[in-house]
Amino acid sequence: MTEKVRIGDDALMFSETLLLFLIKQFNGERTLSGIYHLLKGKKSSQSIQDSFLFRVEPFYHLCDDLERQSFQKLIEHLGDHEWIKYVNSEQTRVILTEKGMDKLSMFKIERMIPDGLRITNYVTTEKQFWLRLQLLIQTLSALRYQQTAFLPITKFPAVTEAVRRIIMESSLSRNQLVHQFYQEIRRLLTSIPILEANIFASQFSGYHMTGLTLRQISDESGKDLFECRTFFKAALRRIMQELSKNKSRYPFTALLMSPGVSGLSTTAGVSLRFLKSGLSAQEAAHRRNLSIGTIEDHLVEIALKDPTFDLSEYLTDELEHRIMDHANRLNTRQLKTIKKALQEGVSYFQIRLALAKNTVR
Amino acid sequence: MGSLNNLREEDLLREAKIILKEKFGYHQFRSGQQKIIQDVLNGRDVFAMMPTGSGKSLCYQIPGYLLNGTVLIVSPLLSLMEDQINALRAAGERHARALNGMMHAQERIRVLRHLEELRFLYISPEMLCRSDIREALAKITISLFVVDEAHCVSQWGHEFRPDYLQLARIREQLGHPACLAVTATADERVREDIIRSLELHEVAQTIMSVDRTNIALVVRNVSNDDEKMEQLCKLLRTTRLPGIVYCASRDWTERLAELVRRQLGLRAAFYHGGMESIDRRKIQNQFLDNQLDLLCCTNAFGMGINKPDIRLVVHFHFPATMNAYLQEIGRASRDGQQGLAVLYYSPQDNQYPEGFIDSNFPEDAFLLHTLHELDEGVLTIKNKDQFLNDLQERGSSETAARFIYERIREKPAYQSFHSIFKRSKSMIEQRRRVLLNDLSIMKNYLTATECRRAYYLKVYHEDSHEKPVYCCDQCGINLADFDSVNFEDTVINRKQLMSWEERLSYIFKESERSKQ
Repeated sequence: MTEKVRIGDDALMFSETLLLFLIKQFNGERTLSGIYHLLKGKKSSQSIQDSFLFRVEPFYHLCDDLERQSFQKLIEHLGDHEWIKYVNSEQTRVILTEKGMDKLSMFKIERMIPDGLRITNYVTTEKQFWLRLQLLIQTLSALRYQQTAFLPITKFPAVTEAVRRIIMESSLSRNQLVHQFYQEIRRLLTSIPILEANIFASQFSGYHMTGLTLRQISDESGKDLFECRTFFKAALRRIMQELSKNKSRYPFTALLMSPGVSGLSTTAGVSLRFLKSGLSAQEAAHRRNLSIGTIEDHLVEIALKDPTFDLSEYLTDELEHRIMDHANRLNTRQLKTIKKALQEGVSYFQIRLALAKNTVR
Repeated sequence: MGSLNNLREEDLLREAKIILKEKFGYHQFRSGQQKIIQDVLNGRDVFAMMPTGSGKSLCYQIPGYLLNGTVLIVSPLLSLMEDQINALRAAGERHARALNGMMHAQERIRVLRHLEELRFLYISPEMLCRSDIREALAKITISLFVVDEAHCVSQWGHEFRPDYLQLARIREQLGHPACLAVTATADERVREDIIRSLELHEVAQTIMSVDRTNIALVVRNVSNDDEKMEQLCKLLRTTRLPGIVYCASRDWTERLAELVRRQLGLRAAFYHGGMESIDRRKIQNQFLDNQLDLLCCTNAFGMGINKPDIRLVVHFHFPATMNAYLQEIGRASRDGQQGLAVLYYSPQDNQYPEGFIDSNFPEDAFLLHTLHELDEGVLTIKNKDQFLNDLQERGSSETAARFIYERIREKPAYQSFHSIFKRSKSMIEQRRRVLLNDLSIMKNYLTATECRRAYYLKVYHEDSHEKPVYCCDQCGINLADFDSVNFEDTVINRKQLMSWEERLSYIFKESERSKQ
């Protein structure tokens, strides 16, 4: 039994460190849900903005498969070791204890995180891309083995349609197509660290060989699940970057990338087009049949990801300075605290916008 | 159908047998299939009750090759549709498609455009209720109207689906094709309901025994979870696999998979509703592809799964009804070989099904509070999903939320929400009584001192017939007879982890390309 505990502890090292690091960065200014949403990659501008504010961009959307319950268990685990403590009576916000600080300082998070994870330009489309890639591989394997029927690993219509189109529209013969794709994937996997490539490819499915889940990879390899997720996402992001930089080297695989990736979510991208055409936020909301709040969310996202867009209509320089002065003086990123300190007439939206603009700089 | 009249019955039967062999690779019909197929080919309305795993799909698939037009199969289970189409395609059938709400609109349009060419069309009841789809269907010849899971039409059944009540009318609009209604389990009351609701005339009935004689039944009493786990490991160490272990909670599926992997080195995985859909699909496919020896799962697993060589079904916790139990053990040995079902029972397990029954319904206070909030306008119903969501955020279970939604939908517009409280309450009590009764039948099975098989046959008002050699623990069974060493299974024990190059080269069959 003692042995089992030891294995368990070792295996948790990565996730402990990662969580402690995130808690340190958030510094009790958001609830634990904020951290959970960051890891899940929640598509709200709050989560996106938090990732910039607290300098944790690489971890946004790190584990889209994370269950609330497992996250909760990990937090309890940290609590049991007295590495963290609650700072509010509702027990929703936590900070590190001295002991937690010590624990965290034993590890260099920078060294634990592969470079690939820091590539965040494609994060809004990475899930879509990954599903398409897996389905395409499975389909081509079936073609190669002349399998007449198989159970696709996903039935998500947007994914199946995209893969179908890519195969149907190719001018190559089926056989050539498979070979071409094999070579491209080979080239891509050769270009990334071997450990990442192995974790990445273990998830591929083909003819009578179904890919593993990350949880299985973790179980089989004895690596921490969060570590596996990290290596997987690093690989995925490196590959998407390589595809987007060197399209001509991967003519077939590059088709899996969504066109016009700017790091903006699709819906924010649409709003941006409307706004650039001269509509006001109110008019854009009306035209898109969305609430003004949603358009404001998009504006915050735009502030984070497209610094060239002029936002003076919503936030004057003067107001921006005033907000940032207060935020810096109070040393907080909590909207409520900042709003209280400012006089009337400043909206949460404007505070968020100011914070967003100033995290990018 | 006209062309068929010229053929005599034996000719048809001969044709059917040829198709059975050439398309599906079987040499003879299994019991019940032949009569059902003959009745269908003679244009009769047919009601068939066939237990899970006795080959009911062939009963409409074979006529599909002999009748002119399209066989329309109404099914509420998306996974089942998919599995069947997959099986048909694997058998070389290209004219089989599905229409359901989960499809891309583009795909739906493609299907509708080629309706005439289809031999088999699987459709969900919601889709069939759409007028545009019905109009398209009215233009083609429907040779046979199949109602799968027909018990859904009955309020007495365990899964009543209001959409099913429309089916008789829709069948009329489609030119009144002959109807084949099939189900795995239905007592007399449900059977009568099916025949009446679907308006089956001069119906030819085939009621097959619910008994799966090739599955041996064992119940083991244990005193606690530790003993249970010990016994499970002992069983799994030697018994023939692949197998399934059904658990009452997600937590247990994960715990057991881990236990079995560590202690026995078996390739075990877990499966439950809390997983990402792609992970669920991967685990399922691994199981089908024999990459796993054991699957620890909740009852979320199994619908529409067609794996004929599952040898062992274990219940780590017992289910709430005999129906569910037979359904779940029925997944063993569909190929007709010997299978084994083992159920572990410890007194603490009673909490699970009771909790499950309770979670089906809202508590009085919650119901009252919800209705009050609706009257006050604090809670509103914009659409179904939003409302179900709101209720769940207030702490309701999903099924309880659905229950409330259904009651509210029935409410006349001029009445207050509060007015339906009493009626809802009496409905809850009535349904709870039915479920508790089902549960007590299940529990009695566990503690029965008579033959297990004789017990459940009695539940379904069937007479006991000849006992199989391997019947049940009460009749005497030696578990060692089920050890894998007694069988000549070829086990392909492929390792799960491999280098990316190895995997890639297998997936794309590159090693052979270099030889070409």
